[in-house]
Amino acid sequence: MIVIRRSAERGHADLGWINSYYTFSFASYYDPAHMGFRALRVINEDRIAAGRGFGAHAHRDMEILTYVLDGGLTHRDSMGEIQTFGANTIQAMSAGTGVIHSEFNASAQEAGHFLQIWIEPAVMDVEPSYQQISFDPREKRGRFRLLAAPQGSNHHDSQAVTIHQDAFVYASVLGSGENLRHKLAPGRHAWVQIALGNVSMNGEALAEGDGASVSAEQDLSFTGGQDGSEFLFFDLV
Amino acid sequence: MQDINTLVTFSSRTGSTEKLALAFALGAVQARANIRLRWLRENVDDRTVDGVSGWRGNRDRMGREYIAPREVDFLWADALVIAMPARDGVSSPELKTYLDGLKVVQSAGKLSGKVGTAFTAEPAGTGISDPALVSLCSVLAGLDLVLVPPGLMPAGSAIESARLHGRRVTEVARDLRQSGRADPASLTSAP
Repeated sequence: MIVIRRSAERGHADLGWINSYYTFSFASYYDPAHMGFRALRVINEDRIAAGRGFGAHAHRDMEILTYVLDGGLTHRDSMGEIQTFGANTIQAMSAGTGVIHSEFNASAQEAGHFLQIWIEPAVMDVEPSYQQISFDPREKRGRFRLLAAPQGSNHHDSQAVTIHQDAFVYASVLGSGENLRHKLAPGRHAWVQIALGNVSMNGEALAEGDGASVSAEQDLSFTGGQDGSEFLFFDLV
Repeated sequence: MQDINTLVTFSSRTGSTEKLALAFALGAVQARANIRLRWLRENVDDRTVDGVSGWRGNRDRMGREYIAPREVDFLWADALVIAMPARDGVSSPELKTYLDGLKVVQSAGKLSGKVGTAFTAEPAGTGISDPALVSLCSVLAGLDLVLVPPGLMPAGSAIESARLHGRRVTEVARDLRQSGRADPASLTSAP
């Protein structure tokens, strides 16, 4: 079963310095029908004005992934990390017993475009940690590029961040008409989020900002719409 | 578990007191508090700022990362915390403005039962030895806050002491809330 979450149905907040679309309930947007999917709790698409961002704030017991679509982000946290990163990088923060951090658009001139993803951990009170891995954009072209995998999993892909949940996160970029297949293991679920462009999944047309949950389906077929369309794929327990 | 809100307000030039405030806030988060961090911006001219190495860059950054405390923060908080450079005490204009704001809330009876504390960037393990800190704590006590001093935290790391202080303050605030003693009515109705 595939259930589509259209871009325009998402929660929306425009505060001037930030323009956000919330796939699931977040901050002032609350819809009990959209509280997340499996362990996936948050997908926020944020456009942040030049030099602006989130001041110091706290997280606890959450796996937080940040994926830059355009621009750059500067991160500071209570673990002493000060990092600036851009596209083709996955950043992961396991909040565990507690982390305080700030995130700002690294550019003083250009707006940035980011995806903020929260995944509920399977274990609470872990030691906080920070990971950041950059990769060659060719690694996601026409294939699934693993971004995040469970701790202890035997993934044979190139480097991925590890998270405290049985969840695998991939990025993929398709050319126009390019096809990519994925077989979901029995009993697994998936979420697909179109980051850029448009992609069809098993014949369902998905546009930028659209998401879709997948349950009780195993054979998934993705076809790129416009060239360079990018989507994230979450393989969830 | 009772939700506890901890407001950490600090003054910092080159980031040292900010680090202590963050450590305190982290301890509060570890004790499962909701936190807000607020910065007291010093009203000084550019020449003064540029005369201290590192002040300008940190001032610009902190100006982006933090806002000033507001009355709504005082009302929100179960615990109010002030972190100050050791030199300042209650004499700085920005701290006076902060305390004046607290007085307004206190005069409406809306600080009763809340926890308060202050600490400075002085060596760990010294408790309240700094005269400026003593005077600041006196002011907080006069505002009807339940004082939770830094105590004789382990000497060595000021950062670690601040974190432990944050835990302690949050736990005391939670105990007060859970016992119902944070409610001023529980005092006035007592025999």
